[in-house]
Amino acid sequence: MNNDFLVAKGVTKRFGALTALSGIDLTIRSGEVLALLGDNGAGKSTFIKVVSGAHPPSDGTILIEGQPVSFNSPKDAADAGIATIFQELALSENLSISENVFLGRELTNTVLGVPFLRRNEMKQRVAGLLDELDADISDAEAPVGSLSGGQRQAVAICRALNLNARLVIMDEPTAALAVAETRKVLGLTRRLAERGCAVVLISHNISDVFEVADRMVVFRRGRKVAERLRNETTPEEIVALITGAHPDVRALEKAS
Amino acid sequence: MNKVLRLDSRSVSLLILVCLWVLVIAGLAILKPAALGGAMLTSVLQFSTILALVALGQSLVILAGGAGIDLSVGGAVSLSAIVAMLLLKAGMPSVLLPFACMGAGLLLGLFNGYLVTRLRILPLIATLGTFFVFSGLALALTGGAAQSGVPQWMLSWGRGVWFSIPVPFLTATIPVFVLAAVVLGYTAWGRWIYAMGHNETSARLVGIPVDRTRMILYALSGLLAGVAGLVSLAWLGSGRPNIGQNLELESLTAAMLGGIGIFGGRGGVGGVFAAVVLLITLKTGLLQLNVNTVWQVGIVGALLIVVLLADRFYQNRR
Repeated sequence: MNNDFLVAKGVTKRFGALTALSGIDLTIRSGEVLALLGDNGAGKSTFIKVVSGAHPPSDGTILIEGQPVSFNSPKDAADAGIATIFQELALSENLSISENVFLGRELTNTVLGVPFLRRNEMKQRVAGLLDELDADISDAEAPVGSLSGGQRQAVAICRALNLNARLVIMDEPTAALAVAETRKVLGLTRRLAERGCAVVLISHNISDVFEVADRMVVFRRGRKVAERLRNETTPEEIVALITGAHPDVRALEKAS
Repeated sequence: MNKVLRLDSRSVSLLILVCLWVLVIAGLAILKPAALGGAMLTSVLQFSTILALVALGQSLVILAGGAGIDLSVGGAVSLSAIVAMLLLKAGMPSVLLPFACMGAGLLLGLFNGYLVTRLRILPLIATLGTFFVFSGLALALTGGAAQSGVPQWMLSWGRGVWFSIPVPFLTATIPVFVLAAVVLGYTAWGRWIYAMGHNETSARLVGIPVDRTRMILYALSGLLAGVAGLVSLAWLGSGRPNIGQNLELESLTAAMLGGIGIFGGRGGVGGVFAAVVLLITLKTGLLQLNVNTVWQVGIVGALLIVVLLADRFYQNRR
């Protein structure tokens, strides 16, 4: 398939004697929401950290659009179009939405070496993005401190889009949200994929995952134990895969 | 909503400041109308000049967060003035005096910044240490004696008055406050300072050069202390090793009264300016009314507590 954005081949990560990830093969496609599932300590977060440049892999290769890449820092990954939205959102509550979206990469006019902000332009860009995402935020100048959890997710997504991210990784985006907010964020996730972004969603919530994900990958004890398309599986099967009760997982664990 | 509340609480403390200021002026007008006038304006602004410069540096350091505080400002004012005068005595051309004074302040500030950002010493402790070093050094270098010999052309700048307004106030304090307000309000740097002051982790994640910015702000605080030292030289005509005494606490008081949040990321320099003028007016007014100096200090302290309580009260009433 030619819309493969990122391909991981045999990615392994060891911390001393502990093997956190072993031989992960995984393809992340543009325009698709891929869910990573697994118990605590299954290796989802480690995998994400490898992909987002926070940890270099001990072994294996990562290809982006067919080209092998090696990330030494999160900045390298960001430059390659990978944006990670962390659980603790990197937002400054005392600044406005548009200031947050552009924080660290402001649009400026440099006069005598001083970067003066182009406020109107930033405000309009952000208003456009918010509108496009149908994010239910009317004022791009509102301070982030006044927003709900779901709206903050929307701001973080705007930030990723504004950096021209082609892969957006969302770590438990709905963990702390109320029901209506969760709906909203899942809708945002969907729209991101429809825009042609590749989306990776980490979640513990099976019903959320079944609502938005096109494909699901289950991690267990540092290995990828299953990959399923949404319409070829059931929540019961996924739960069995996560807990290790599924016959496939048992067979795999017996073999090793 | 938060921003509105924040502005509210800021304007509440500013409002309290303005009310108190009016009260002090009204009290003076009733009790001692003769004291009010051009002479009083001149003297208030003259004292304000030095405190305002130092309080601005203090405010910038606090604003950038990371438990930022600069307790060494008073010592830096004394030491930069003394160093400049000693260099003059050692044969430096008098034209270079302003640069020597500001350069000394800048170096002292850079040293603070180095301790805080590179050696990772808690700012409270690092600048407490340099406070003792700077002020002790100023005394040790001079044996406590005032260093005279400030050139005449500097005195005419430092003592000059234009429509009852001291010239150093017009040429040093006003420009740096305007500059600071513009940088904080209208440039990317200003956004970075507020962002890192509020949430340093997120500022680092988005790629803001947190350590470099903080280093620059400590250096600026030192530079402003150097300018304050220069103003003291030009005004008093000599370098006094204890000129910066109490400035660290007074500048801290002015910053807090002016609405700078002690945890960073909150406040603006306009409030600090108003707080400086209020503090000096209050002290001058009390002096005119023959209130004992001991009481003056106590009144300033009580004022600080009252304003911070009011601020807290409005924060909690969300």
